[in-house]
Amino acid sequence: MERITRRELLKKGTMVGAGVAVGSSIGRKASAAEKGEKTPLPKIVERSRDSNLERMEKELQRALQKPLNERHWVYVIDVKKCVGCAACIAACQTENRTPPGVVYRPVIHEELGKYPNVTRRHIPRLCNHCDNPPCTPVCPVDATYKRADGIVVMDYNRCIGCRYCLSACPYNSRLFDFGEFYAKGKGFFPIMPYENVHTYEYKVNWKRHKGKSPVGNVRKCHFCLHRIERGLLPACLVTCLGGVNYFGDSNDSKSLVSKLISQPNVIRLREEVGTDPQVYYLL
Amino acid sequence: MKSRIINWFLLLTGLGGVIGIGAIVYRLVEGMKVTWLTSNFPWGMWISYYIYFIGLSAGSFLFSTLIYVFGRKELEKAGRLALFSAFFALVAGLIFIWMDLGHPWRFFYVITHWNYTSVLAWEILFYIGYIVVVLVELWYLMRADLALMRDESSAGKRAFYGALALGWKTPATQEARDASRQRALRVVAILGAIGIPLAICVHGGTGAIFGVVKARPYWYSAIFPIIFITSALVSGAGLMTFLYALVGDKKGSEYLNIIRSLASWLILFLGIDFLLIGADFLVNWYGYVPDHMAVWEQIMFGPYWYVFWLVQMGLAMVVPFLIYLFKKNSATWLGIGGLSAVIGIVAVRFNFVIPAFAVSPVPLLDKAFHDARFAFSYFPSLTEWVSSLGLISLVTFIFVLIYRLLPIVNVPKEYSV
Repeated sequence: MERITRRELLKKGTMVGAGVAVGSSIGRKASAAEKGEKTPLPKIVERSRDSNLERMEKELQRALQKPLNERHWVYVIDVKKCVGCAACIAACQTENRTPPGVVYRPVIHEELGKYPNVTRRHIPRLCNHCDNPPCTPVCPVDATYKRADGIVVMDYNRCIGCRYCLSACPYNSRLFDFGEFYAKGKGFFPIMPYENVHTYEYKVNWKRHKGKSPVGNVRKCHFCLHRIERGLLPACLVTCLGGVNYFGDSNDSKSLVSKLISQPNVIRLREEVGTDPQVYYLL
Repeated sequence: MKSRIINWFLLLTGLGGVIGIGAIVYRLVEGMKVTWLTSNFPWGMWISYYIYFIGLSAGSFLFSTLIYVFGRKELEKAGRLALFSAFFALVAGLIFIWMDLGHPWRFFYVITHWNYTSVLAWEILFYIGYIVVVLVELWYLMRADLALMRDESSAGKRAFYGALALGWKTPATQEARDASRQRALRVVAILGAIGIPLAICVHGGTGAIFGVVKARPYWYSAIFPIIFITSALVSGAGLMTFLYALVGDKKGSEYLNIIRSLASWLILFLGIDFLLIGADFLVNWYGYVPDHMAVWEQIMFGPYWYVFWLVQMGLAMVVPFLIYLFKKNSATWLGIGGLSAVIGIVAVRFNFVIPAFAVSPVPLLDKAFHDARFAFSYFPSLTEWVSSLGLISLVTFIFVLIYRLLPIVNVPKEYSV
């Protein structure tokens, strides 16, 4: 049976009621993918060693042939493979040129057991891209929303920076750009050239300036939207040395991620709040 | 009251206001980095003051309806004062939330891109409707006095009062004056009756902004929007007690009675507030669900334990009770009790917003990444302190100025409603 979510029900109810919802989706520019335009995809490199990466790339390109609303991206993390090297954090920060303190991908380090029987566990975190996100309905200006392919995105030019969504996220996966720079303000350093590099989030060229978006905005992980729509896997995934991460389309029953999330050893974080997260952890 | 003291007070608050404006401008130029907020501690002092002032406003307004809707004639002299504080407190609250925005100049997006699923977006509509009701009520109450003051004063003030009177003309005969006064009171009663659900939406809804957040177990409770309303009434009654003790007609025979009556309302609301907060604590304590109790532990024994024990429990609870019990015959003491409650409620707001963020919602996330902007602890920065206190002095300064100029408590004899 098809499950009707609360939000869908709300939406349907409103349509019937009267055109109250006018203006919430009108006026926002649809991205190229949302309009159904296709971008040329890169050639896949034949790899002998890591066949998973190659397979996920093929599946990603296969998924991109489908219309946007028939894809559903999920992310799977195999916790026991993670060594806690933090390469994914660095990759994410370089890819998205995030300022100090804005970290889309923290890694939780946990010590278990009692000496001498101790071990460590590392739990990488990123936005869960919940199927029932509590952060999007609270936005007073509708600047954050869930796309048809499951990615929860920000509209930087609309966000007023009230940070209600930060409060409403049960995972603290959202971050605020306070407008700081790594070097500036520490001694006599100016803004370093590497901090002035464009970031390509949401396939738009952003340059951080005082008072200009994305400074003063809420920022979050977007599964490297600008990469996946060009046929590339998320930065955190490709940089991982242990092959901890998996990414793909769960609507494709033959995909690697579909296989993984149907296993019995899968958990998701804080499921009890009913968010239906789309980041799965393999134990 | 001695005008020398008022002048000193005006000088002091005016100076504070200027410094406050400076701090706000600094914040607008430099952006949110002047605060010590973090991504995991997104709301702090400004949001606490925002809900405090919205509460003070709703409380004062609900208080005025006791007079104009429910006909408690003995409190009539405090009526306009209550509406004026409602207006100024709301303006202060709105400035606080405005300067908390990452993009303050996009504030009008909440109207142009209004999102119907957001409690905050609904609240903005309620604030606007509510401010209109308050202003229209005030005009109806004061139009006759304003017209009289316009006709009796010299050129400069004449234009000022004339502008406020909006062209209202004093009827020629006494009978017509009485009739127009009755009509005005009828309109105010109807507006007040509309204003009651509106004020409940304004502050209960402000509580609901937090109450609907299922991510924070401490907030996610139906009792908090109710506590918001009762503590709004506490601060409203406290403010009225204090202000009336300060500016009321001390020689009048009713003076002490009015203040006592105001103080009794204060004590009643305090009792209800205590009951509700106590209920929330006891239920959480009995269950001891770690997520819930972690926040209560923060409040009672965390780094800011004194805010709870000394300010929230002391100033806003014990002090007004003790004064009411032992100093019931002194208007001055009752006024101090009211002031104590008004200040103490600030701690209720701080203790509502801030501790909820101190506990990591995902275990050990607080140790995942080390950066000042990723911390799970918060203390307001100097800019936050100066801009907050400065803004409060500025609003007080304008309030006192307006109080001196307009017929709020000292109404011209002929027209006093």
